[in-house]
Amino acid sequence: MEDLFSENKAVEVTADSTGVAAAKKKEKKPINQQKLQDNIWGWAFCAPLIIGTLVFVFVAFLISFILSFCNYTSNSGATLWEYFGRLSLKKNELGEISPFYNYIRLFITSDVVTGSGTAVTADNDNMWRLLFNTVFYMIGIPVGMILSMVLAVLMSRDIKGSGLFRVIYYIPCITSTVAVTFTFQNLFKSTGVINNLLGQTIQWTDGYAMKFGENGDPYWCGGLLMKVVVIIMSVWKGLGGTVILFCAGLSGVNAATKEAASIDGANSWMIFWKVTMPDLAPTIFYTIVTSVIGGMQIYAEPQLLFGSTGVNEFVDGYVAKITYYGFFNTSNKNYSYGCALGMFLFVIILILTLIQFKLQKED
Amino acid sequence: MAEEILTQTPVAPKVKEKKAASKKRSKLIADIITYVILILGSFIMLYPFWWMIAASFDGSMLHIQSGLVWWPTDTIASNLAVCNNDLFYTYKILMDGEIGLCVKITGGATIWRIIANTLIYSIVPVVVGVLTSASAAFAFAKIEWVGRDVVFMVLLAAIMIPGPSIMVIQYCMYSSFGWLSNDTGWMVMVIPGLFGSIMTAFFIRQFLYGMPTSIIEAAKIDGAGYWRIFWGFIVPLAMPAIMAQGLLSFMGCWNNYMGCWIMLGSFKMAWNLPVLVSAISDNIGGDLQKYGALFAGSVMSILPVLILFGVFQKQIIGSLMLTGSKE
Repeated sequence: MEDLFSENKAVEVTADSTGVAAAKKKEKKPINQQKLQDNIWGWAFCAPLIIGTLVFVFVAFLISFILSFCNYTSNSGATLWEYFGRLSLKKNELGEISPFYNYIRLFITSDVVTGSGTAVTADNDNMWRLLFNTVFYMIGIPVGMILSMVLAVLMSRDIKGSGLFRVIYYIPCITSTVAVTFTFQNLFKSTGVINNLLGQTIQWTDGYAMKFGENGDPYWCGGLLMKVVVIIMSVWKGLGGTVILFCAGLSGVNAATKEAASIDGANSWMIFWKVTMPDLAPTIFYTIVTSVIGGMQIYAEPQLLFGSTGVNEFVDGYVAKITYYGFFNTSNKNYSYGCALGMFLFVIILILTLIQFKLQKED
Repeated sequence: MAEEILTQTPVAPKVKEKKAASKKRSKLIADIITYVILILGSFIMLYPFWWMIAASFDGSMLHIQSGLVWWPTDTIASNLAVCNNDLFYTYKILMDGEIGLCVKITGGATIWRIIANTLIYSIVPVVVGVLTSASAAFAFAKIEWVGRDVVFMVLLAAIMIPGPSIMVIQYCMYSSFGWLSNDTGWMVMVIPGLFGSIMTAFFIRQFLYGMPTSIIEAAKIDGAGYWRIFWGFIVPLAMPAIMAQGLLSFMGCWNNYMGCWIMLGSFKMAWNLPVLVSAISDNIGGDLQKYGALFAGSVMSILPVLILFGVFQKQIIGSLMLTGSKE
């Protein structure tokens, strides 16, 4: 940088003595050097983030994709790199090469018997039920959004202490899911506070409350109250963040438009729907996208609330299946199957996001 | 409204006064309703924490926890009797260095080791990671370099890949790096964080966009290199955003249960507090006294975060309002 500065001076001196054309020719050099500096430092400053993302996200993603067609398990007795040395495609249970077997296995709900015996064994934990649970938990998203909209509107009124309320409502967001989950588990016990208040002995979490599935009733009734507890808890925990987002959105609503509407005779209800809501649309859209993406990945809450070691198909979300086959299946961790499960989750989330962006554009 | 005003103008000022009074009264009623709803909501937000703290002093599940609704009145005395008249009995059950629950469950790691783990997992990657994120943000916002937009799009695409879909392979990678053991477990929780986070970089970039470029130009003319510009201008000027993002990621790392549990579940020396708390819950069995220890652990895991939030709430909420982000 030091010599660049002095060179600039030199250019000035020559410009005085030899004329404009020569000066232009010489000026090019420092500019190019500046560009070089820009490029070097731009890449240098970005390098850590780029390297981290490449290694821990893109390489991992690529390996996941490749291995989802293979048969890498903890019984393979090889590290990841060693396994890459002798990569082999997945074989099905009959020993035929079937690269898509891990994906096929996902969609099989009962054993498929072929001419030469049982070819494909279904998982005990049916993917569709776990996906159903995952989607069921998303009932919490509209509920939470309506609640936080009401609260944000109230907090945005001209009252004292609205800042304090924002802080209080945000506290659950920053506290540990684990601590909060065990508290809720005990609040909703059959002898817990909630039942004390209601004067009832509802079996919220003890055993399989409302487990209708086995008596021929639809399976979605199984563990219904447990799912309700999970929804209550996640709404309670996530409320503050959305409230603050909406408060930020509301403060951005054009006050002049509001006043103009009220002078034209609109009541506050009409102002809310016709002036405030359109201005809030981006915030609402952002909240829906992030909540749906986050909701697809629900894992810790049901797992901790109901303390299951394997996969509990009445309450667990889809991610529990990935963790089970990838991490907790003690006899054999089937990494390749975990990869296939992960790829399927990626595709689901990708499709959901694309749909949401498409809807956004149409509006 | 316009018509009303027209018809009102000839009417005596008394009516106007009356209208103003009724308007004032309706605002008062609305204010009261607002306060009632917000205070009721605050109560619901805070009650579980009150319950958690009360339960953490409960030596036996039978006393406070099952009966407590508002205030542990007549149960305190009988509870203290169970606890040898020691208010912090349950905390001692958890923390004792020789026979404590923590040592028993982890097979040797004291609670201090677990807390130290948690601190290392949340301070080191956050401090370094926020700075690397800020440097990337600086490069994106204020420097023009070949490939900037392409790199930006590639990083944006990386956000689309959900963590759970690649975590199995991340585990295998860490395993082949030799990171998965009691002594080297910290690497799993620290090293990936050192490289910075894309979201943090985006938020700081957004913040830097609002800063005038003329400062950087002036510094350049005065002969400062980008390295000096970054440390001398960008970091101090973007400090509010850096602090807020750092605090939010600190809280995220402090509370990180899933990452530590799935990667280091079988390496108990490398556990962090949330994993320990969940392990206490698995360990309770029929021993009701351990419930108190469970909530003692819970309180310990939320207390630092609450204190930090209490001290820096203005910056955190302000940053959330500004960036429209949320944890």
